[in-house]
Amino acid sequence: ADHTLVISSWAPPTHNINAKMWPKFIEMIEEATDGRVTAEVKLGLAEAPAQMDLVMDGAADVSIIFHGYQPGRFVTTKMIELPGYVGTSEAAAVAYWRAYEAHLKQANEHRGVKVIALHSHGGAQLQSAAPVTSLDQMAGMKVRIPGGVATDLGAALGMIGIQVPAPKVYETLASKAADGVVIPIESRAGFKLTEVAQNMYMLPGGLYRGSFAYIMSEEAFAALPADIQAALEEKVFGEPLSRAIGAIWEQGDAEGIALTEATPGNAIHHASPEDAARFDEIAGTIRAKVIEEVAATGVDAQAAYDMIRAEMAAW
Amino acid sequence: MTEALIGFALVLALVLMRMPIVFAMGLVGTLGFAHMRGGSIFDERGLNAALSMVGRQITDTAQDYGLSVIPLFILMGLFVNKGGLARELYAVSHVFLGHLRGGLAMATVAACGGFSAICGSSLATAATMSKVAMPEMRRYGYADRLSTASIAAGGTLGILIPPSVILVIYGLLTETSIGKLFIAGIIPGALGILFYLFAVRWVVFRDPSAGPAAPRTPWPERLRALRSIWAVALLFVLVIGGLYGLFDVAPLNLTFSPTEAAGMGAMGAFLIALARGGLTLRGTFGVLKETAMTATSLFAVLIGAQIFSNFVNLAGLPEALLGIVTAYDVSPFTVMLMILAIYLALGCVFESLSMLLLTVPIFFPLVVSLGYDPVWFGIVVVVVTEISLITPPVGLNVFVLRGVVGDVSTGTIFRGVTPFWIADILRLALIVTLPWLVLVLPGQMGP
Amino acid sequence: METLIALARGASRLPVALACLALFALMAMTFADVILRSAFNAPIQAATELTRVLMAVMVFSCLPVISARGGHIAVDLFDGIFDRLHLNRLREASINIVCGVMLVWPTERLWMLTGRARGYGDVTEYLSIPVHLVTGFITVSVALTAAVMVAIGLVHLFAPHLLDEDLAR
Ligand code: NA
Ligand code: NA
Repeated sequence: ADHTLVISSWAPPTHNINAKMWPKFIEMIEEATDGRVTAEVKLGLAEAPAQMDLVMDGAADVSIIFHGYQPGRFVTTKMIELPGYVGTSEAAAVAYWRAYEAHLKQANEHRGVKVIALHSHGGAQLQSAAPVTSLDQMAGMKVRIPGGVATDLGAALGMIGIQVPAPKVYETLASKAADGVVIPIESRAGFKLTEVAQNMYMLPGGLYRGSFAYIMSEEAFAALPADIQAALEEKVFGEPLSRAIGAIWEQGDAEGIALTEATPGNAIHHASPEDAARFDEIAGTIRAKVIEEVAATGVDAQAAYDMIRAEMAAW
Repeated sequence: MTEALIGFALVLALVLMRMPIVFAMGLVGTLGFAHMRGGSIFDERGLNAALSMVGRQITDTAQDYGLSVIPLFILMGLFVNKGGLARELYAVSHVFLGHLRGGLAMATVAACGGFSAICGSSLATAATMSKVAMPEMRRYGYADRLSTASIAAGGTLGILIPPSVILVIYGLLTETSIGKLFIAGIIPGALGILFYLFAVRWVVFRDPSAGPAAPRTPWPERLRALRSIWAVALLFVLVIGGLYGLFDVAPLNLTFSPTEAAGMGAMGAFLIALARGGLTLRGTFGVLKETAMTATSLFAVLIGAQIFSNFVNLAGLPEALLGIVTAYDVSPFTVMLMILAIYLALGCVFESLSMLLLTVPIFFPLVVSLGYDPVWFGIVVVVVTEISLITPPVGLNVFVLRGVVGDVSTGTIFRGVTPFWIADILRLALIVTLPWLVLVLPGQMGP
Repeated sequence: METLIALARGASRLPVALACLALFALMAMTFADVILRSAFNAPIQAATELTRVLMAVMVFSCLPVISARGGHIAVDLFDGIFDRLHLNRLREASINIVCGVMLVWPTERLWMLTGRARGYGDVTEYLSIPVHLVTGFITVSVALTAAVMVAIGLVHLFAPHLLDEDLAR
């Protein structure tokens, strides 16, 4: 290859981000450029919140960022985190990209780097040792829940939030320091949740989706020949890449569900239609708050929300 | 790969000129990173990239949540010391073992093991125990070479028996679970005590005059001594039990992450020292100050090591090493033996922490891709690091003893310590051939 | 000159005291978090981010002081040889000056990162502590470290007698 991009990544080596998403990205850029551009993944160059600085200054050419790790910097990215979007992660990624192009981009929160894909993990669900079969049971539970939208929603549902880093989820549950965890379904295998959180309570669309972006160094992009730039823009960056990565998130969720169904003692409880409706009502108050917060940045948040919802429904 | 090897040689040269490790690794790592990203160490874009990486390492390493165990465990050890627990530990070992031939040296080893369970550093263990045990052994006419050697060797257990600063650093560099590493150190640490006891027996078997027996202590007195170490036992059970999930019972349901275990241990030690009246405001301040200073110097070298390790990573050294191993079709076990030989050789001249920082970024990826368990390798690395502390010509524990005791020559201590590092080599052979010994306990802990 | 060094020593007490307070707070908070979580179902939500901030305060309060006292971890394998060749003073001076000077670039970058964190409005998760305050504190500490090391190097060169009783170790 004429050009080898350096990818900086931070999740564990076995996580889908490193096991499947980067290989997919490399495959796509190689295919789009007839092998003239390739990339290699370097793990552990810096911690997750440092990735944007690394790319901005050219320490790496491409990276993945989780917007929740930089509170304050990213506000409009909360739009995809909202509860209530029903549909696959693939649909969510495509809708997210389109809403970004149409509305969210104006906030210019990724200034200094080139955004080449947007996606989110699947709707996070409550996973617990004791079975939870109704919304009311959530109140008073001690639950590991990440910050941002999820924290607000947890509080609205009456849960006691515990903040622990993701790798500590297993021991936190194993020791009963927490009763449950709100986490994407794809984590069931990686964190061995089938052993310590045998029950999963499924709300349509989940409690939140975590927002991710693939970012590229503007300088590294500018250094590529014009025909390569065009090929990448047309065949990889933006919607195609977002969709491909979204599909991998979806596949991870599907594997998590299959694993749960195949594991003795594990059970999936679907929320009743009444509970789902009531949840959507509670979620509505959180949504209103976030939409207001995002609108304060000057973008049309309501339009973005409607757009994501409609795009996903039409999938 | 060439770049990485040149970088390694440069760091070595600078370090031997006595440039502080953080600056040697930081400088070479920065320039090397710039070279890899820009094509030359003078390339402006490369330097810009490297400095960004450096800046973020400086801000992020000091704010790494997992690393908060380092100051907290150091703090626990120092507070425990203020509470006079080292003396009591030795007293207990003494009343139980003292009447045997070589018994006081055996008591020293046992007390070192006990002290290691609350202190994360080998140097601190050796320094503390030498103040307590050395006068006793002299009183009973023990040969200097046996008494100093038993302290120097026993002290090395500080970094293997949890808590351990070295294991925390290994965990950080390799993203291995610190909780598992701690639990994995327990059996090899116990084996270490056992092997050192045999080493003492061997010395007094060859030369009975080296360790005369002390008078036997009657049972009532033994039991009274035993009661006095409840505090140490309590702290150890609290910290390790909490990590391992022993108190995971309703309604308490107490389980700690390593950071929480360290915080509980430090607070516990603080309260014990306070309750025993061994702690003034000035004393507390002194302990806090010493801890903060020690922890800061450790954080500094960690920042340097991460910068250097990023350069090595970018230069593709791990992949290159793996390529060589694959090309020559060497068996994983042969590779492991070669790595151990390198460690033992480096350990003769290198200080333990520098050795770890320099070698782990290079060997770890190779070892893992050959199929070895990261936790097991961590323990192996710590055991070879322990050996480095007592092998000539540079054995830091020996130097500590020399510093504290004063009137014994370094040569005498090194001669006395020989049976102990032979015992260490045997222990190393045992855990290399039987990885189960290391992995059985952490295997119970989940992913 | 002597008074200047005495002044510097006195001034170093402040950051050391700050580090001690941060460390004690870290210990007390970790303890309180575990107890509150286990016994009262009321964990300290902001414990993780406070831990990070307290550690940064501790480490970067001590850094200039440690650097001034030559307290960095180093390998003293060849000290004897340097001593015999009477090169110790020259070596100490050059290493301190070189290390101090080479900290200028990271300091500049840290300053830039501080500005960046401020420009992007980065804050911590629960308490919304502005990140640039922490990064700014780190920048000042590293800058001080650079200055102190150069100064110590110069003293080694031109007034080594001052170090004998005072600043050495
Ligand atoms: Na220890
Ligand atoms: Na040695």
